[in-house]
Amino acid sequence: MYHIALKMLMGDRGKYLGIVMGLTFASLIMTQQPAIFLGLMTRTFSFISDVGLPDIWVMDSKVQFVDDIKPLQDTELYRVRGISGVEWAMPMYKGMLKARLADGTFQTCIVIGLDDATLIGGPPVMLQGKLEDLRRSDAVIVDIDGAKDKLAKPSATPGGKTKPLQIGDDLELNDRRAIVVGMSKVSRTFQAQPVVYTTYSRAKNYAPRERKLLSFVLVKAKKGQDLAQLTKRIRETTGLAAYTSSEFKDLTYRYFMKNTGIPINFGISVTLGFIVGAAIAGQTFYNFTLENLRQFGVLKAMGTSNWVLLKMILLQAILVGSIGYGLGVGLTALFGYSMRNTILAFRFPWQLLIFSGAGISLICVFAAIISILKVIRLEPAVVFKG
Amino acid sequence: MESNTAVSCRNVVKVYDTGGQKVTALNDIDLEIRMGELMMLVGPSGCGKTTLISVIAGILDQDEGSCEVFGKNLLTLRNHEKLDFRAKNIGFVFQAYNLLPSLTAAENVSVPLIINGMKRVEAERKASQLLEQVGLGERTASLPSQLSGGQQQRVAIARALVHDPRLIVCDEPTSALDHETGHTVMELLKDVALHKDRVLVIVTHDARIFNFADRIAAMDDGHILKVVNSAAQL
Amino acid sequence: MKTKWLLPLLAIAGFLFASYTVVNGSKPTPVAPAVAEPAFAPYKAFIAGAGIVEAQSQNIAIGTPLPGIVKSVAVKVGDQVKTGDVLFVLDEREHRAVLGVKKADLSKALADVKVADASLADARSLLKIAESVTDRRAISTEELLKRRNAVLIAKAKLQSANAFVQQTNAGITDTQTTLDRLVIRAPVDSEVLQVNVRPGEFAQAGALSTPLLVLGNLDQFHVRVDIDENDAWRFDKNSKAVAYLRGNRQFKAELTLAYVEPYVIPKKSLTGDSTERVDTRVLQALYRFNRDQIPIYVGQQMDVFIEAQDVSNTSNNESQLKPAGPQS
Repeated sequence: MYHIALKMLMGDRGKYLGIVMGLTFASLIMTQQPAIFLGLMTRTFSFISDVGLPDIWVMDSKVQFVDDIKPLQDTELYRVRGISGVEWAMPMYKGMLKARLADGTFQTCIVIGLDDATLIGGPPVMLQGKLEDLRRSDAVIVDIDGAKDKLAKPSATPGGKTKPLQIGDDLELNDRRAIVVGMSKVSRTFQAQPVVYTTYSRAKNYAPRERKLLSFVLVKAKKGQDLAQLTKRIRETTGLAAYTSSEFKDLTYRYFMKNTGIPINFGISVTLGFIVGAAIAGQTFYNFTLENLRQFGVLKAMGTSNWVLLKMILLQAILVGSIGYGLGVGLTALFGYSMRNTILAFRFPWQLLIFSGAGISLICVFAAIISILKVIRLEPAVVFKG
Repeated sequence: MESNTAVSCRNVVKVYDTGGQKVTALNDIDLEIRMGELMMLVGPSGCGKTTLISVIAGILDQDEGSCEVFGKNLLTLRNHEKLDFRAKNIGFVFQAYNLLPSLTAAENVSVPLIINGMKRVEAERKASQLLEQVGLGERTASLPSQLSGGQQQRVAIARALVHDPRLIVCDEPTSALDHETGHTVMELLKDVALHKDRVLVIVTHDARIFNFADRIAAMDDGHILKVVNSAAQL
Repeated sequence: MKTKWLLPLLAIAGFLFASYTVVNGSKPTPVAPAVAEPAFAPYKAFIAGAGIVEAQSQNIAIGTPLPGIVKSVAVKVGDQVKTGDVLFVLDEREHRAVLGVKKADLSKALADVKVADASLADARSLLKIAESVTDRRAISTEELLKRRNAVLIAKAKLQSANAFVQQTNAGITDTQTTLDRLVIRAPVDSEVLQVNVRPGEFAQAGALSTPLLVLGNLDQFHVRVDIDENDAWRFDKNSKAVAYLRGNRQFKAELTLAYVEPYVIPKKSLTGDSTERVDTRVLQALYRFNRDQIPIYVGQQMDVFIEAQDVSNTSNNESQLKPAGPQS
């Protein structure tokens, strides 16, 4: 009977394609839109992900998200270091500084100051040069996207193409010279500003004079140390806020969720995708069942039970659902793949596969249920009516 | 005597309720159909003949009266027993053929076997043999849309026969066919389908085929007017 | 038949590609490794502080008593100097000239002494002649008196001339002392750590932010540890301490306490940046260590860990909180 069900489904190629396309479309929207949304949200805390080495971030207790810098006194570093369970603690400066480009324009950059000795918290991938090169005088490392785009040198001829910043070029950060010694690849940040890495003490020189300049203390816990306990201890001992990396990501993420319209916008488009997909696919599938009602009636007259018919319809729904889902997520992945080198935010975690799978299942179950109701209510006597 | 009676209907009443208006489709029908005969139900449109074969085939429940098919009162059967009964004992031939358009001829014919739980390959093999018998050995892999009306009806007949049912109900089997094809189809039904352990009930208003009937029940307004042995007696 | 499998196959391919994307995309961001392993404390509970290495003698910032242009620098960085060795010399031409003038003054004064001496002898001889005349009539009393007075005057003049010689001598000594002060000498046996003067430069007298010359005794190093005032109560003089070299934690030195400066001072620059802000007060403890343990230089920073009592569960055990800092 299942063979018959499949034959029935695929026999009418137009309808079959229609259903599959509807579901593909629904699955595409339900995967691709959340993927972009997740991509954007991931960017809000991409900096935290990039700094993978420390377990705990210590900062002012009023910090709301990763770009909300409320600097600390330098000695807080040593207080944190003195807490038991801390393997090491390193200073980090993070701030927005204006870089003056060769043509006199200004570009705001994110300047990251790393501990002078260990350079902990450096960029995840170095494309050119080495992180150690930061120890040279006036050395900075620039992220490749910034170097190619926002920090690029203007062309010699007006209106020509800009030349990407290269190793050896210099920048002016807050009236101080900075020499590019390396190119790094960092995850794009939400504001998409160029990221400039340098050492902590040099960053303090670049930064405008303030009484406090220490943005974060990066903490590595001792092996076997319970992170929740350690953060609690740091909070109690220093009065500062201490978050594990994932807590800090959550904090940042929640801030953006709460204070920006992004989740609503994407929520709407995902819901619309779901509704439109459900409408198209559900409608086509229901139509398909309606048109085959006579055939179901024949099968019913010949002695096929409702239960078998139900299973047949479910099989049909599952098949078109799976195909639509597979095509949808495949197209999404293709989309993400083709956009991988652009500024498009795109992130495709396994949870999203499950999410869109659940969405498609819902649509299919919904379509199947209304079809099944129709078939179950069907009087087999209908077959004798011309 | 009892074993000779295939279908026995007593005082069968069926009332349709269409939007508050009650239409009596069957009014106190008494009918006996014997084994091995070809019974035709004739009458004008709306006389209740389709309703009657629906009741006989067990796809419609009467409101009053009893209808025993091969000694079983279908009304008393439970739902799955009824399904099983239909699947095993009844073959259908429809006016509009009602072949599944996406299935090949052989697959269409194999459907009743599959419903009865036979393996697909085995069922299709058997279906192909039967198609050969009805003269469509060449067209087993054709889709219904690739067959002529007569060929489609022959496929439908093969489908009605394939699981060797004891009762075959045919609803206007020739009305969509031209005279010659209709004649061929009826010959096929009479020659291949009918034998002493089988009953054919054919609903028709096609007077050209009345001659094939063993007995003819003339109906009008939910009543059986008369049961005659030949068309000439109508 | 072909179309029958096309869509399911495409769907499977799509799903596989999506799964591949998921697996590929969920790779964790690569972690930039630390260029140098950071120092970590070998104790369960500890106080961490930044330490700066200084010579045991502390670092002696050499100053000059007089401002002036540097004439010559006699030492270079790394020289071992003994007490009294010349370090550098300031321009002394002006004072030499003054000395010449003063020496000429001395000659003149000496000459004046001789003149006064001669005048006295003359006066004495005239008086002698007059006194040897016994005839009172031959010489008047007035004349005699005049000659006696002349002798007295000549004596006084001689005295004055002598006094002037002494004065001139004193002036010469003064100038010579000044000349001597233009030569800056080592106050103790030590090593030259830093030379910030070069011939021709103007050396300012007084306390300078950049000392002209830094001397230190390098036989043993001290590391000066800044302990945050918030942590000061946890500091225990008797607890163990260890220092790690910045940039390579393989190099570590066991520390023994030399002394604690009990006055909590505003945190001073430790990073060498003169603009580093004073933002907190720190307790400074000085620890001794053997310089042979690690390759280290004076002025280098170290990460210092001092063992302290565990305060991780302060909230539920107050009795642990015995103050450890200012012990008897």
